[in-house]
Amino acid sequence: MRRALTRLRRERRRVLASALVTLAAALAVGVSTTVGYALATGYERAAQRSDQPDVLARFAPVRRSALDARLRRLPNVVRISYRGEVNRVGLAANGRSTRNGAVHIVHGGRRGYGVVAGHDLGSRSGEVLVERGVATAWGLRVGDELRIGGLGALRIAGVALSVDNVAFPLAAVPRVYVSAAEVGRRFGRERDPVVNVALLWLADPGRLDITLSAARPAIFGLRTEQLLTRRGVRQAIDQAAGVVIALLIVFGVVAAACAGAMLAAAADARVRRRAAVLGIERALGASRAQVVGDQALDAVLIAAPAAALGLTAGALLAIGPATTLLGFLNEVAPGAALLAPLAAAYTGLLAVVAAGAAWPAWQVTRRPIAALLRGGDLSPPTRRIRAGARPALLGARFATARRGRWLGSVVVLGVAIATVLLVLAVADLLVALRDDPGTLGRRYALTVTGDRSDLPAVRAVPGVAAADQRTTIEAADSFSLTEPLRVIAYRGDHVPFEAPPLQSGRRLRSAGEVEVGDGLADALGLRPGGQLALQPVNGRELRFRVVGVVRALENNGRVVYARSARFERDDPDLGGPIAVRLDAGADRGDVLRALAAAGFAGRASAGTTTSNRSFLGILATVLRTVALAIGLVCLAAITQALALTARDRRRALALLRAGGASRHTLGALLGGAAAAVLLPALAFALALERLVLGPIVARLTADYATLPLHPGGVGLAVVGGGLALAGTIAALAAARTATREPVATGLGRADG
Amino acid sequence: MGVLTALLRVRGLTKTVGQGRAARRVLDRVELDVQAGELVAVVGSSGSGKSTLLHLAGGLDRADAGTIELAGERLDGRSERVLARLRARHVGFVFQAFHLVPELSGEENVRLAARFGAHGAQAPARVAALVDALGLRPVARSVPAQLSGGEQQRFAIARALVNDPALVLADEPTGNLDAESGAVVLALLRAATRDGRAVLVVTHDAAVTASADRVVTLRDGRLLCGER
Repeated sequence: MRRALTRLRRERRRVLASALVTLAAALAVGVSTTVGYALATGYERAAQRSDQPDVLARFAPVRRSALDARLRRLPNVVRISYRGEVNRVGLAANGRSTRNGAVHIVHGGRRGYGVVAGHDLGSRSGEVLVERGVATAWGLRVGDELRIGGLGALRIAGVALSVDNVAFPLAAVPRVYVSAAEVGRRFGRERDPVVNVALLWLADPGRLDITLSAARPAIFGLRTEQLLTRRGVRQAIDQAAGVVIALLIVFGVVAAACAGAMLAAAADARVRRRAAVLGIERALGASRAQVVGDQALDAVLIAAPAAALGLTAGALLAIGPATTLLGFLNEVAPGAALLAPLAAAYTGLLAVVAAGAAWPAWQVTRRPIAALLRGGDLSPPTRRIRAGARPALLGARFATARRGRWLGSVVVLGVAIATVLLVLAVADLLVALRDDPGTLGRRYALTVTGDRSDLPAVRAVPGVAAADQRTTIEAADSFSLTEPLRVIAYRGDHVPFEAPPLQSGRRLRSAGEVEVGDGLADALGLRPGGQLALQPVNGRELRFRVVGVVRALENNGRVVYARSARFERDDPDLGGPIAVRLDAGADRGDVLRALAAAGFAGRASAGTTTSNRSFLGILATVLRTVALAIGLVCLAAITQALALTARDRRRALALLRAGGASRHTLGALLGGAAAAVLLPALAFALALERLVLGPIVARLTADYATLPLHPGGVGLAVVGGGLALAGTIAALAAARTATREPVATGLGRADG
Repeated sequence: MGVLTALLRVRGLTKTVGQGRAARRVLDRVELDVQAGELVAVVGSSGSGKSTLLHLAGGLDRADAGTIELAGERLDGRSERVLARLRARHVGFVFQAFHLVPELSGEENVRLAARFGAHGAQAPARVAALVDALGLRPVARSVPAQLSGGEQQRFAIARALVNDPALVLADEPTGNLDAESGAVVLALLRAATRDGRAVLVVTHDAAVTASADRVVTLRDGRLLCGER
């Protein structure tokens, strides 16, 4: 160890250069580890912190004793808590207000939320808890005053976190909690209050199916509005940001792979530069193992402090934005738990560095000692290249001379470029989802509030081509009640109104047939010709024949398109807005005004998640930023690859300069070297994106629907142009560095 | 010898290498003229500054003080771009270790250098003529690893001559060769002077000094002139 430290002290400049590469790589790994770990585990941490129930059920208001009597009979249930949820309540604080607030009246027992600031609701009067998202968005602190319609001014006792939805303002409704005692103080205490939310904790969450099966007869007769399992919650949150989380994790892996390759290449170059020294050590009697061990130790000693610094800096850089994103999703930052993955990343980095130094040392010391003493680190080729003497082609040959390194660079860059293509494709898709309902096959432009008796009047409005009632019914698969799904039902043919692309099978033709979204088809293994047994939240089981599988994004692709006739038999009051398709060329604004004149309130139809329009825009921006960041990693990788090539071929470049080659000629040569890496990397990336990453991420992001995640012409042009620019910048930078040193130095001058 | 003109004129050339306590003056106010058509040998012990003088004369390195004039053009204080142009037009280098690009054939190494010269469309013919003249045609398509030392050095000389330089700078051109190959190389360098070129050779080889028009000795960075 002492010998190694002495050795390193004598090579300060090289040590510093290696340390800087390690620092840059560790920074990227620190960022990616932090982002990846924080996002991948944020939900579970939040669920634990908030004591999330295994099932959250919303009913029409009912006496607590009546509901409790039914739920107590359920198997596998260990604890039940109740709340009264009051919606469309006025909330005002800190100069902000809304009429769309939700007040949860907490009736004791386990809370189902975690208190992240201040204290929980207790016996003190005049206190309220606010959701973390509300506190953040409105700038509220513990001790501030919040005015609640009907309850007046209350003091904020604490900030609560619950994970049954994404956070306000991503979720449209700001939520606060007050105790039942507080409500009792204002309106009189009730012995048997009315509740509409039940939280259930199970003894064995793995046996959720059994509990839900028993719940069906137990709650028969109660109007159930929502039955939300942990898995369902997770899906809802993933629906909001699953694409981004998955891609950020992919980005983390790509950045880590690029950093690892950069480190290994740098360590490799350092060892090969010292080939003659290794020869001397071998000549003096050092064994191969000793030489290899020394090289690995040297590399680790250089990398250890730089990697620690880089990882720390990367983690500090990333934790802020990651925490903000987690806050949007009602999830929790990792805190000290991040230390474990960072420690693993640190170990991994040092292992890569050690291997990156040991392997080339092992390879180099296989050569005869006499050859090593001559100092050549490249075996002289015995085959002539066909490229001739053009500088660009010679540069290409230089770049490919080290097959292993060249292949490594091509693969690393290819993966990075494929990720950029993918990220851009998803960003484009998000914008399309935001702006263009047609992306989802949605053809109706307006929805109108009304019932089926209004249909003739709506159809008579000028500019209206077709109108039909669109009903949505929350349901579950009868055989797997943990698989929630949404039925979208029309009285007639749904295709004029929404025609999600058919993936297989055909369109439905009768009330006994359905088309299913591919998210549901994947989850339940459904295919055309199969049978779907539905359990609507209210109503009896219905069975349908599956005739088609469609690509759908709504509700993660867990949708069923059906005719409404069979549902109406169970619930004649089944309602929903009227979907309106416009005549070709009709102006949406004109039709809206004509509908208003006829007494109908209409609104424009948007993409999949009208309430999340701004968030979709933010996600697209984040993704494009990520693409830019990966692009910068590509630039760093190609710059380093060219720098290594220029360093390896220092003497050849000096020789060209001695013969009168200008910086432009060296630039052309190094440009050829860059092209030799970038062009195959681009080809590899296109194949990888189209054949592997696109399909995988489409499924990953969707659990969803299989989305056509292929880059468009603009995306390809941007990536191609970016690569050309990166190659040019890298070539010019390497040429500039190469021409900085005196030609004589490059020729390996020995003063004599 | 024909009419002699001072092709290379060196005045007060000084160069120090290293820094601080490790600093060492390898050239100390060196003065040297080399005429067109002249073969000058530079001798001296190891570390006396021979190769440094050669590199400075060819614009491969920069002096601390003094002036260098090559074919009427000053090298000192010029930009790297101008130096590159002057090297391409006026200077050819021959190195002890040949320094051929290992992936290119011998002929392609010559062709590579021709790209930087002024022969333009005539360059391929000039390359072929040189390769033939130096008796290298049978091995023209071989890569350096397949060539003998003498063949490699002959290709290096062809490369040095391909752009018709006025000055050929050779750093121990026979140092890695046996006596027979060394004699061939020396003959080629000698022949180069007949076209009016100047050749400045750094050497330890007695055969080279014996063949030179003039031998100069460097000692402790100072040039001791000798005339043959």
